[in-house]
Amino acid sequence: MAFTSFFRSPQQVFTASVLLRVTFLLYGLWQDANSPMKYTDIDYYVFTSAARFISRGQSPYARDTYRYTPLLAWLIYPTVWPGQFWFSFGKVLFAVGDVAAGWMMYRILKEHRNMGDERALKFASIWLLNPMVATISTRGSSEGLLGVFVTALLWAVLAKRIAVAGFLLGFAVHFKIYPFIYAASIVWWLDDGRVGNKRNSTAKELTSVFNQILAFLNHQRIALAIYSLITFAALNIVMYVMYGYPFLEHSYFYHLIRIDHRHNFSPYNTLLYLNSSPHATSSSFELERLAFVPQLLLSAVFIPLALAKKDLPGTMLAQTFAFVTFNKVCTSQYFLWYMMFLPYYLPGSTLLQSPTIGISALVLWILGQFAWLQQGFQLEFNGHSTFVPGLWVSSILFFLVNVGILGIIIQDTKSKTHSKAVNSKKSS
Amino acid sequence: MKQRITYVVKDPDSFTPEQLGVQKHDVQGSFSVTGVEAAKELRITLGLDELPSELSAAFQTWHELHVRWVSPEPYVSTPPFTSRVSPGLHVLFTPRKSTPEHALCDQLHRFVDSGLKCTSINETSIKLPVISERFSMSASAQYYTFRPSIRDIALRLSDQICGGYDDACEILITELASASYIDIDYDTITRAVVINAGWPSGRGGGAWTETVYRYRNKGTVEIGVLTHEPNPDPEDIQFGGFLTVLGQDSSPKPTRFQTPARHYPLLSPSSSSPTPQPHPLTYTTSFQHPTGLHPTLLLTFPSRHLTPPNPSCKLHTHLTLPSYLFIDKYQFTDPLFLSSKNIKSLRSLSGATDLEAPDWVIKEWGSAALFELANTQTQSPSAQLNVSIPLHLRYLPASNTSHTRVPVPWPVVFWACRADEGAKMAANPFDRVHLGYEALFGLKTRFMHVEPKTSGGELVEWIDVPVLDLNKTGWVEWGTLGTVVLAFAGLCWVLFGRGWKRVESGKKTQ
Repeated sequence: MAFTSFFRSPQQVFTASVLLRVTFLLYGLWQDANSPMKYTDIDYYVFTSAARFISRGQSPYARDTYRYTPLLAWLIYPTVWPGQFWFSFGKVLFAVGDVAAGWMMYRILKEHRNMGDERALKFASIWLLNPMVATISTRGSSEGLLGVFVTALLWAVLAKRIAVAGFLLGFAVHFKIYPFIYAASIVWWLDDGRVGNKRNSTAKELTSVFNQILAFLNHQRIALAIYSLITFAALNIVMYVMYGYPFLEHSYFYHLIRIDHRHNFSPYNTLLYLNSSPHATSSSFELERLAFVPQLLLSAVFIPLALAKKDLPGTMLAQTFAFVTFNKVCTSQYFLWYMMFLPYYLPGSTLLQSPTIGISALVLWILGQFAWLQQGFQLEFNGHSTFVPGLWVSSILFFLVNVGILGIIIQDTKSKTHSKAVNSKKSS
Repeated sequence: MKQRITYVVKDPDSFTPEQLGVQKHDVQGSFSVTGVEAAKELRITLGLDELPSELSAAFQTWHELHVRWVSPEPYVSTPPFTSRVSPGLHVLFTPRKSTPEHALCDQLHRFVDSGLKCTSINETSIKLPVISERFSMSASAQYYTFRPSIRDIALRLSDQICGGYDDACEILITELASASYIDIDYDTITRAVVINAGWPSGRGGGAWTETVYRYRNKGTVEIGVLTHEPNPDPEDIQFGGFLTVLGQDSSPKPTRFQTPARHYPLLSPSSSSPTPQPHPLTYTTSFQHPTGLHPTLLLTFPSRHLTPPNPSCKLHTHLTLPSYLFIDKYQFTDPLFLSSKNIKSLRSLSGATDLEAPDWVIKEWGSAALFELANTQTQSPSAQLNVSIPLHLRYLPASNTSHTRVPVPWPVVFWACRADEGAKMAANPFDRVHLGYEALFGLKTRFMHVEPKTSGGELVEWIDVPVLDLNKTGWVEWGTLGTVVLAFAGLCWVLFGRGWKRVESGKKTQ
């Protein structure tokens, strides 16, 4: 069958993924030139005008709502050169990043999941041939670029290239903050057995807390910490020296203090609107201020501790899923953050093994979004006050669907055998 | 105190000098009009020492202060009173170096409404953009609030100023409160307060029958009854009629004069009538329904009348947007988008332009925008040109209802044309400046205002903004937190517990 032979050829799959993006790019150019409704993402206009400010020797933060590292504007600097081709440079870069991320996924699946070409290509195609992924990058959203950094980080860790991993981790956190959660799982995963260090430890020594800490602080973990912290600090120092306080304000503080009162998928959304809005009777305990507690406990502590040693990619998926699901703000481009881990998790997962569970999960996930979007449309365009119960209930339901899926992911990852650890036990 | 009263007769054919009556006793005097169909303007000039000390001190806080209030009641304007400002209360001012930050809010709360949202000069007012630096007459900052009526303010001021014993004073203030628009100007150079009030017609839209007396033996009272006459000079307007100084003149004295006009009347080009006739171009403001959270403001013109009165003229609209509405300036850069909305460009935008903040964190009163509009003409008699200006609503505070009603004053629409005699315009006795938009143009600019046309309503649109209904939010706090806590506990149980694992692994081994 032509379809099965398609997935046997990396050339064909990658050519198809490139063609998909080229088609979307060209279509976007056509739509932008002929319709007042633009294909290009609003954020892309933000990035490109920030790049223009840079080209005039000004700060990228001169552009309202530019809340990213100046590196992003520098990366797409050629967009300030004249002509439609150069204006699209950023989209091309994001799309190339997409395909590069897909290539790394394919390599990881082959080398670290012991898959054959065909199987690896099929699962990598969840990313490579996904129209949603291709649309997001060709519309000029930078989320796709993150895919290449995070996938490279995963590859570097699995390949034990600790210096590279540290650099990528520092870079990714500088770029988008949230990848800091991966530090916990990577550090926990890098135990002595994993990295093959021989240690003639006895039970007695390990009883002492001090020695346990010493045992934890192995060479790899210290190296990762140093490399990532140096990269993170160096990037921030350079950016701070160049752009001063607005850099800290817009790329970091804004994300910490923002009140996301506008409707979005987050379960906290209605509560945030309610409690940030001035009204006479305020009997609230403002417990939503503690929303980061369950989010960070799950994504940065509990999930890494419980799962990292069993399966790193699965753990990173669960962490990201928990981070996005429990976040105070959630929009559909955040879904891309976890989508990049699906190729490693889905093979052998309950979602694929049990079609009933898999299809129900997918249908509920889509229905949850649809219900919310329908209520959001009624509010945004028809002016119906659908905040309560419409938007609130659908965001809570969507949250519960996500929690259910996260439960399945955690369960699947947890029940994986600790293969390498078993091997290392034998060897020690 | 000096008073100047001007009646501009609407239809010269129906007016005869017999409708005027002058009486003179010693230096006292009175002037009466009987059944005169006219627009009226009353200008009062006061020295600071003629004001109660509290008011005098309030004015002296400012380097210059210009208050413009316009009623939302529609009216037909009569030349030379053709200039327009969006309905509501505008305050344009330049503080002195010593003006305290709280002065604006203190005075607004004291004299206008103690409930107005105002924190400080810097935070609440917006900087007036000045494109023409040479326009040195421009005030530096602007404040605005929508107020449909000033009767309540007048009542309060009447108590303060007239002190309860001065009948003439109370009558004057009551009269001022019935005006369609009021300007109050003060600046440190003249140290005088000028109050200018306008009535488009007599009480109830009818004719004027009233008698003016000279108050208190002091100050001059000058009365003009004028008609608008044609003039061959394209930049001058001409008036003829009668002037009377009360206590001096025993009969109306004929007069005729011509003057360049900053606000030149938009006149019908094809009129064969001996008196200038108004141009048929009008505009209507409305909102596309449903308004949702992104209301689109529509300006509708009969497109066959959109011929520029002069080749140098460009059609503009000036919007005054309270803080709950904002413009996303980045939308107005794409030529396709602009032409689909019949907009040429967003010429200026100042004030609260934050694209994300809810209304309750916005400190400024709002924003002001100037657009240049396309004037695509068609000859079809029924064709209309629709200009659509996309706006966005901020989130408003949660409330006990599902929607909050907010007013949006109609924008003003005018042709801005090149004028050769810019500097001489200030010599026009009816010149009106500090309207918030002149400084966006060069000094040599004439404004030809397009008349708004309502279908019976006021010059204000109302939008119902969906808000969180507090009657329904009883469950939100505990519902949200309970769900999150339960979900968190459930996931911890999956992570660290054994229950699910056993079932699952049991299944798998089978």
